[in-house]
Amino acid sequence: MKSGPFAFVRTTTFRLALVYSILFALFSAGLLAYLFQATVGEMRAESKTRLEAELRTLANAWNTGGPTRLEQSVLERVLVDLRDFTYQFENARGETIIGDLPRMPIEPIEEVGVSREGVFEIERPGPEGGSVVTPIQALVVRLGDGSVLMVGIKMDERIRQVNRITRAVATAAPVGFLLALLGGFFSARYAAHRAETLTKTAQGVMSGDLSLRAPVGGSGDEFDRLAEQLNAMLARLETLMAATRHAGDSIAHDLRSPLSRLRNQLEARLRGPIDEVSARETLGETVEEVDRVLATFNAILRLSRVNAGAEGTLLPLDVSELCEELAELFEPACEDAGIAFSADIASNLDLSGDRTLLAQAISNLLDNAVKYTPSGQSIVFYARRKDARIEVTVEDTGPGIPDTDLERVKERFVRLDEARTHAGSGLGLALVDAVAELHSGDFTLTRGNEDIGLKATLSLSAKG
Amino acid sequence: MHVLVIEDDLEHAEFIEKVLSEAGHSVETAGDGSGGLSRAREDSFDALVVDRMLPEKPGLQLVEEFRNGGGTTPALFLSALSDVDNRVEGLKVGADDYLAKPFAPEELVARVEALGRRQVSGEPPVTVLRVGDLEMDLLSRKVTRGETKIDLQPREFKLLEYLMRHAGQTVTRTMLLEKVWNYHFDPQTNVIDVHISRLRAKIDKEFEHQLLQTVRGAGYCLQA
Repeated sequence: MKSGPFAFVRTTTFRLALVYSILFALFSAGLLAYLFQATVGEMRAESKTRLEAELRTLANAWNTGGPTRLEQSVLERVLVDLRDFTYQFENARGETIIGDLPRMPIEPIEEVGVSREGVFEIERPGPEGGSVVTPIQALVVRLGDGSVLMVGIKMDERIRQVNRITRAVATAAPVGFLLALLGGFFSARYAAHRAETLTKTAQGVMSGDLSLRAPVGGSGDEFDRLAEQLNAMLARLETLMAATRHAGDSIAHDLRSPLSRLRNQLEARLRGPIDEVSARETLGETVEEVDRVLATFNAILRLSRVNAGAEGTLLPLDVSELCEELAELFEPACEDAGIAFSADIASNLDLSGDRTLLAQAISNLLDNAVKYTPSGQSIVFYARRKDARIEVTVEDTGPGIPDTDLERVKERFVRLDEARTHAGSGLGLALVDAVAELHSGDFTLTRGNEDIGLKATLSLSAKG
Repeated sequence: MHVLVIEDDLEHAEFIEKVLSEAGHSVETAGDGSGGLSRAREDSFDALVVDRMLPEKPGLQLVEEFRNGGGTTPALFLSALSDVDNRVEGLKVGADDYLAKPFAPEELVARVEALGRRQVSGEPPVTVLRVGDLEMDLLSRKVTRGETKIDLQPREFKLLEYLMRHAGQTVTRTMLLEKVWNYHFDPQTNVIDVHISRLRAKIDKEFEHQLLQTVRGAGYCLQA
């Protein structure tokens, strides 16, 4: 959207304000029309009926007795001051016969017997000086001999009242229209401004700065809520992006070395003499090396997906049962390796968890224990409830890990020198950490009992 | 076995064909989803190997339509997507097994052969399994070899049952972990080997003929 001083004109708010202003104006006009019709129109119609009746009576007088009879009738009426009629009678030459107006205020129609309606004002000196203006509604008709008769009636006070209302509304309506427009203008500008900050944030994010957040006004209005949602979405996106980028970096960095090693081996073999036996041997080694690379690759992908929350479905799970199964799975391997294995699993350890991921995490801990605990030593595997948490612990009496490395080994690809003699990707404990986080838990490594060996604890939040 | 491989990647299809042919199976290939579906319907194959990403008709849809049309040929999904969710999705539409790419040739052969042994519906369920003089009664849960009664732990029983149901076929460690323990990951230590050697000690140790063989680089095979 182009911006400029009048950009708000295109906003929805402004358009709505405009529409409402126009509706308001139409409504005012309609109201006036109705008011006019209901009062002035009706009164005029009523007056006109009376005027017509009066005119008919006088015309009758003329018909029966000619001008003399008419003059007499009018004079009688003036003297009696019948109601509030006003009369003016001119002969064919335009000379006033009856009436106090200087001349006929309304031009009659030439055709005889057809009346014409009109309104005029007369000005008379008021009782306390100055002058009083009286509006007169009148009918004028030309009689058979060319003389002209006018009958007028004073317009009621109510009509003047209506006239005042009409004037008031006619003045107020444009002002109201202007005010509505002005209100529309300001609310549109406010809304446009708020929307503009959101647009700016979105543009900033699109241009690559994922750390941008939309400002939240704090009033809790719909724009604030929108901004909060937008910010939450951005935060999630940023996490996912970071996880993806981290995985990408790790893959690039950590697959490069085995691949380079592989390439060098192959090249070294190429330079030497090639017979079938050595070629077969080289190919076999190559397949093994590639398998290792692929395994690492899969492990990184899985770890990244768990870290990003893209893998793992939390369902009701009996950890006791899972641990019993794992104990049963690993017990023979320990026995074979000459390690004393004991398991102590409390029952009914229920939580909401992903069976496969938890099984893999615990299995990683048991794997490590079996790998690094020398023959003749022992492994204790226990699971129990501790307050609102469920703790799964694998404790061994092996060589342990130096205090300074206890945190570091949880990071990706960190392998201590002592571990390099064993196969492994350096991702096992990182996965345990990620799985713990997925289950809103912690993974801690400490020295074992009496400062001997290693104690690995997975602390998970229990259900409910 | 007569196997239909539906895979659009030509090189990959050739590899699968070669691996299965070398294991003694006759293989036919189809390069896209719709073609694969009509081939699967036309002929009676013993097993289908279906890639999940196919042109024209994705593998999931193919297997679903095949099953809805009454097709019963066992099917194995091949996929680069190895999440548990994807696996569950694949089994839900009616596939019988799921193998993530890349895979070892032995793994593919073992799994395809395991498919062929699926119990044919309509037959009365088997209650006694026999391999040589080894006998397993699934109802009374008794195992005997010759005259000797063999005591097994529940898990050992399950392990032996799986091996007996696939007697004569190579069964990989991953398959055992999946089917017997229901775990979909690889423990780094040789936990399965240890369980096998315990089982072997119970069923083979005192007998001259060894039933449970180790297949080098692949897995195990129970054979009379």
